[in-house]
Amino acid sequence: MQALKEVFYSPYFGVVLSILAYQLGLAINRKINHPIANPLLIAVIIIVAVLQIFHIPMEAFQEGGNIINLFLAPATAALAVPIYKNLQILKNNLLPILVGTVVGSFASMAVVFGLCKLFELDTVLTASLLSKSVTTPIAMGITQQLGGIVPIGIAAVIFTGITGSIIAPFMVKLFHINDPIAQGVGIGTCSHAVGTTRAIAMGELQGAMSGIAMGLAGFFTVFWAFLFAILL
Amino acid sequence: MKIMMQIAIIFLLCFVGELIAAILPFPFPASVISMILVFCFLLWGPLKVYHIKKQTDFLLDNMAFFFIPPAVSIIENLHYMEGKLLILIFICTVSIFTTFAITAWTVTAMIKLEEKRKERKHHASA
Repeated sequence: MQALKEVFYSPYFGVVLSILAYQLGLAINRKINHPIANPLLIAVIIIVAVLQIFHIPMEAFQEGGNIINLFLAPATAALAVPIYKNLQILKNNLLPILVGTVVGSFASMAVVFGLCKLFELDTVLTASLLSKSVTTPIAMGITQQLGGIVPIGIAAVIFTGITGSIIAPFMVKLFHINDPIAQGVGIGTCSHAVGTTRAIAMGELQGAMSGIAMGLAGFFTVFWAFLFAILL
Repeated sequence: MKIMMQIAIIFLLCFVGELIAAILPFPFPASVISMILVFCFLLWGPLKVYHIKKQTDFLLDNMAFFFIPPAVSIIENLHYMEGKLLILIFICTVSIFTTFAITAWTVTAMIKLEEKRKERKHHASA
């Protein structure tokens, strides 16, 4: 029995479980076709359930997790390609997109920081929430750098992405945003990649704008993080 | 280009990113430096999209998959959020609205500003 337990410490276990859970998440997402059926969210729920039910320690799963983590930095680096491909659209609307994402990424962090102070949350939780509007790979880097808890940071990022993409059409109406460029940049800046999939559904221009904004907002958030590192 | 070389290029740029991050006198996410490197190399020309297309398509198409292991660790950190879950959800939700509104309004204002400038230029030339 003990030998059987040891087997779960093989990296193959964590990698295979992750792939199967993610594929199941993708399948459910295709079937339900709603932002709440987020593949990453579903995969995490499945894996946590499997680990709990079969009493498999987290360390055993993370042996495989470490292999997958190897691709985190390459995945972040790959984000440069879609921005480069959309360079012409970016050039055509350079000032509105740049100013919008610089101001927007600051506003996101400032509001989170202010509310955290208001509710007297400690520095660690505040640091975990600050980068919640940007795409997961960049948010991870910033959370680490600010001394936050990376898994909580990721949870905040996923929550923001899902909620943002659900309420995006509602916010467009609420704030009377008629320009498709403004819609796209707004969605990409506040709810990163998950929001971008919704923006693509709203229109081609909105989708491209959201994709560009998501990358730029992530980039500028890294720099704003220096400011908030002092304030923390 | 062969998939082996594509992986090597991306991994090399990630390594250089870590190298630069180690040299920098202030903390800066190494992965973001790698992203800037890829962008600059594409912009300046030595790197073409087709050089790394298979590898980056694989990474971009499956982006969320790579965040599963750190996300699963959330169950070991639940005690940090005990009794604060509603506050955290409130903060995240409020900031979605404010971030969207401020960003979209800024973009709209900038577009109007540019249009006005163009109009003025048009009048001046006429």
